[in-house]
Amino acid sequence: MTKYIFKRLLQLIPLLIGITVISFFIMHLAPGDPTALYADPNVKPEELARIRANWGLDKPVAVQYFIWLKNAARLDFGTSYISGKPVTQEIFERLPATVLLMSLSFAIILLISIPVGVISAVKKGSLFDNVFTIVSFIFMSIPSFWLALVLMLVFSLRLQWFPPFGNIVLPCATMVITGLAGITRYQRASMLEVLRQEYIKVARAKGLPEWVVIYKHALRNALIPIVTLLGLTLPDLFGGAFIIETIFAWPGMGRLGVSAVFSRNYPVIMGISVFTAVLIVLGNLLADVGYAIVDPRIRYAKKE
Amino acid sequence: MLKKNKLALFGLIILVLFCVLAALAPVIAPYDPGEIMESEIQGPSLKHLFGTDDLGRDVLSRVIYGGRISLSVAAVAVLVALSIGIMIGAISGYYGGLIDEIIMRFTDIMLSFPTIFLILVIQSVLTPNIYNVMIVIGATSWMGIARLVRGEFLTLKEREFVEAARAIGCSNLRIIFRHILPNSMAPIIVAATLGMAGAILTESALSFLGLGVQPPTPSWGNMLMDSQTYLLDAPWMAIIPGLFIVLAVLSLYFVGEALREALNPKEW
Amino acid sequence: MTKIFLRSLFIILLATGFVFALDHDPNGRLVLSLGGEVSVMNPILSTDTASSAIEGVIFSGLVKVDKNLDFVPDLAKSWKVSKSGLVWTFNLRKDVYWHDGRKFTADDVKFTFDTILNPKINSVRRGDYIIDGKPIKFRVIDKYTIKAILPKPFSPFLASAGMGILPKHLLEGKELDMAKFNSNPVGTGPFKFVEYKTGDHVLVKRNPDCYGGAPLLKEILFKIIPDENTALVALKSGEIDSTGIPAKDFHKIKGVNLFKYDALLYTYFGFNLKSPKFSDVRVRQALSYAVNRKQLIGLIFLGYASPAYAPSAPVSWAYSDDVYRYGYDPQKAKELLKEAGVRDLEFTVLVNHGNKDRGKAATILQQQFKRVGVKMNIRVLEWSAMLKVINARKDPKDFDAVIIGWSLGVDPDSYSIWHSSQYPGGLNFVGYDNTEVDRLLEAGRVEQSKSGRKKIYAKMYREITKDAPYIFLWYPQVLTGVRSRVGGLSEPGPAGLFLDIEKVYIKK
Repeated sequence: MTKYIFKRLLQLIPLLIGITVISFFIMHLAPGDPTALYADPNVKPEELARIRANWGLDKPVAVQYFIWLKNAARLDFGTSYISGKPVTQEIFERLPATVLLMSLSFAIILLISIPVGVISAVKKGSLFDNVFTIVSFIFMSIPSFWLALVLMLVFSLRLQWFPPFGNIVLPCATMVITGLAGITRYQRASMLEVLRQEYIKVARAKGLPEWVVIYKHALRNALIPIVTLLGLTLPDLFGGAFIIETIFAWPGMGRLGVSAVFSRNYPVIMGISVFTAVLIVLGNLLADVGYAIVDPRIRYAKKE
Repeated sequence: MLKKNKLALFGLIILVLFCVLAALAPVIAPYDPGEIMESEIQGPSLKHLFGTDDLGRDVLSRVIYGGRISLSVAAVAVLVALSIGIMIGAISGYYGGLIDEIIMRFTDIMLSFPTIFLILVIQSVLTPNIYNVMIVIGATSWMGIARLVRGEFLTLKEREFVEAARAIGCSNLRIIFRHILPNSMAPIIVAATLGMAGAILTESALSFLGLGVQPPTPSWGNMLMDSQTYLLDAPWMAIIPGLFIVLAVLSLYFVGEALREALNPKEW
Repeated sequence: MTKIFLRSLFIILLATGFVFALDHDPNGRLVLSLGGEVSVMNPILSTDTASSAIEGVIFSGLVKVDKNLDFVPDLAKSWKVSKSGLVWTFNLRKDVYWHDGRKFTADDVKFTFDTILNPKINSVRRGDYIIDGKPIKFRVIDKYTIKAILPKPFSPFLASAGMGILPKHLLEGKELDMAKFNSNPVGTGPFKFVEYKTGDHVLVKRNPDCYGGAPLLKEILFKIIPDENTALVALKSGEIDSTGIPAKDFHKIKGVNLFKYDALLYTYFGFNLKSPKFSDVRVRQALSYAVNRKQLIGLIFLGYASPAYAPSAPVSWAYSDDVYRYGYDPQKAKELLKEAGVRDLEFTVLVNHGNKDRGKAATILQQQFKRVGVKMNIRVLEWSAMLKVINARKDPKDFDAVIIGWSLGVDPDSYSIWHSSQYPGGLNFVGYDNTEVDRLLEAGRVEQSKSGRKKIYAKMYREITKDAPYIFLWYPQVLTGVRSRVGGLSEPGPAGLFLDIEKVYIKK
């Protein structure tokens, strides 16, 4: 197991290099660059050229990349073009807000999806199950930003229950609703899979009451893939964070990323790309590890 | 089962309806989507069934033309994704070995990328227009299809009919495209349907941020972008396009799921 | 009798004074909103409005503007220009202290301007202090006198003399672009920096030893609220004291005092004069006649803007009404196009991404031009991409037309916009070339008297509008709401309501 994890971590490196190379070169294909952010057209072009040279932006792209790489290896991601603060500081300042939003959302999703998924599986084909299926499809079809707008309209502007910005309730609600469907269906599928197992039939044959069968045996095993779940949903949560944070002005990393993209703040864009890529790869790793643990062959081997 | 069929039917009807609206937009839409008809925002009325937007344009007409744009962008994006994905997956799965390793590594890199972020970066670098939106979405969503196709090819290439084709001297290319590929169409079609749903969502998100279809050409996404400022004053500007997106995507999901079940009977 | 009268008068006066003094809260905190993140709080480096807002209360310049946009003394108590126009002498105040207690002297002034002129420093203001390629030299005469020696007479120099002054003792020898100072500024202004919480707020507090008198406010909290709708909600709930109000909400909002005044900027539609499509003045005039400014202003601003017909704004002292006006006359537009022999004219206009008003203007103009048979395509470019196109040093440039605005400086000199030498490498990206206008621009820079300059510019505006190189569109109005608990506001005008920030107070 540990060897497997180590091997996967090692694979991170070429992955990261690949990601950073792609990001870097894409950004530098840009027509226009951060100096044009000096939005005042009264600024003379010679001044912009001078500033560009000061920033090292007049060197060939490949050279710029290696300079960046060299620094990144020392965890120095440079300084933001906008605020002059170190990129690492900017990211870590915003990280807690995003982590808060994502963990709260994930926790709520779990709280809802586990019971709903389990009940759906147990009562497969029932009205509950059917309604759940349709509702989850509907939730999956809702664009997150539209949901955000609608929630803002109803709860912030019309009912005035929450302030439209700075408050965690609405962004969290948006993330929960959009993320709920997938995970609940996954739970349901996983529970169904478990219910089909031999040992469940054995337990039933033994005459154990149904609720013992469900809650003591099946449920415990159906909960194991939570680690996997976290791994799988991490990329989506991150992706969702970008847009939702922007709409609700939530001061997290996602919002930093979006504004960095719009202002061509290269160092910050690169920093966030690397950061999110690392997190996503770790997430995938978690998911794979989760699968490996859950694999019944491994489990049975341990039990026997 | 029956329920599933009803849902799929519902989805199919909506899809057909949307396609008709999209194709016959100039005939069906009551007004020109760009025409400034009123001097102020108006709510839904007999003259304007879905009201007007902040520039006095008819929302119903815009949402019909917007559908035309959003649906065609999604369709082309999926075609792009399919082309790339099928080619990569086929080569990877058929030839195997080192080529497979390299291609799969590359696919992994692409998958590990925060796609939304990548699209944002790309779109902010280019000047967003309807064409590069299609390409960018396609170029960032082929990975699932590639994996799928690779999986199919891995299994199918050992089958007898492939051996037979080799025996009679068919070239590799011919085997790939005329023999194996047609037999793996089933999951590809399902993937395409679901992919189109995703493409609609992605395009609308991009246009919403201003990095997709540019106004004044209407798309469901950029109509939502314009609606933000007027959320309280003219909620119909936000509700209508969003509803259309939900319906389109939902229909595609229903149809896709039904296809998946029909073509691949498995417990779900 | 008189004694009693005088005594009562004294008591009444005392009481009024007392009441007045009671009226303002000595611990008053004003809460304002910043439309975006602060970048660097350093007046020679920053270009965004958020940072400028903070710098405005922390730093002082040699001069400042009053409500009429005239220059009045600030750190310089007086100044004079030599007869040749080449030497400006500034006599500085002797009672100014930095926020850390050190005394302000002419060395700080020289340090500030030398730093700006230093090519290694990323200051975009450098160009303002270079005239025809030669830098302005600054010489310290004594502790409180400094001279600026110009290579040529240049009346707009006074505006650049308003630059915030930096403390030499804190910044000398430091790398300015990265200095910690930029997030912890020290100035001579009425307020001292307290703290900056990224993404949230900036707090400043009263400088009791300020040379202009201690401000009435104890603190100012600048909250970072990038979205105008959020800011509006915050204003209504009392979370902030003032913010700009979008046109659509202006007539609906209640519970705050409303102010509207004209801003010192105009938005226009510029033709690429070097393009064969627009080389005929009749075509440009035709398109000018096709524009219905009333519809534009009605739809975009709900009436809260004024139509523009001249290359200056009514709030500027140099403004003149006597220009060629192209009102809304679609019939005339069609006739002129026919006369010029133009049929099926099609072109593309550039608009920058992110500016909703200009985006809407493009859409509306597209329809207005359609009515006279002209097809206009809209191309939205990201701001930096657009600048790259219009600022490219090539001839002809790669655009047909552009919708953009000019924020007019306090000084009306518009040499960089209209002089033929400023093409292709300058702000005259439309390629305007008129020898008479060139002459008038040069004369306006050398002429020292205001009335003389006004005459020169009036003539120039008339000449420019005759050629219709731009279609002038509108002057936006600034719409602001301020909560009634705030007093001491300046008269509504282009210098803003919070111009004399030391006089602003919170009512008890």
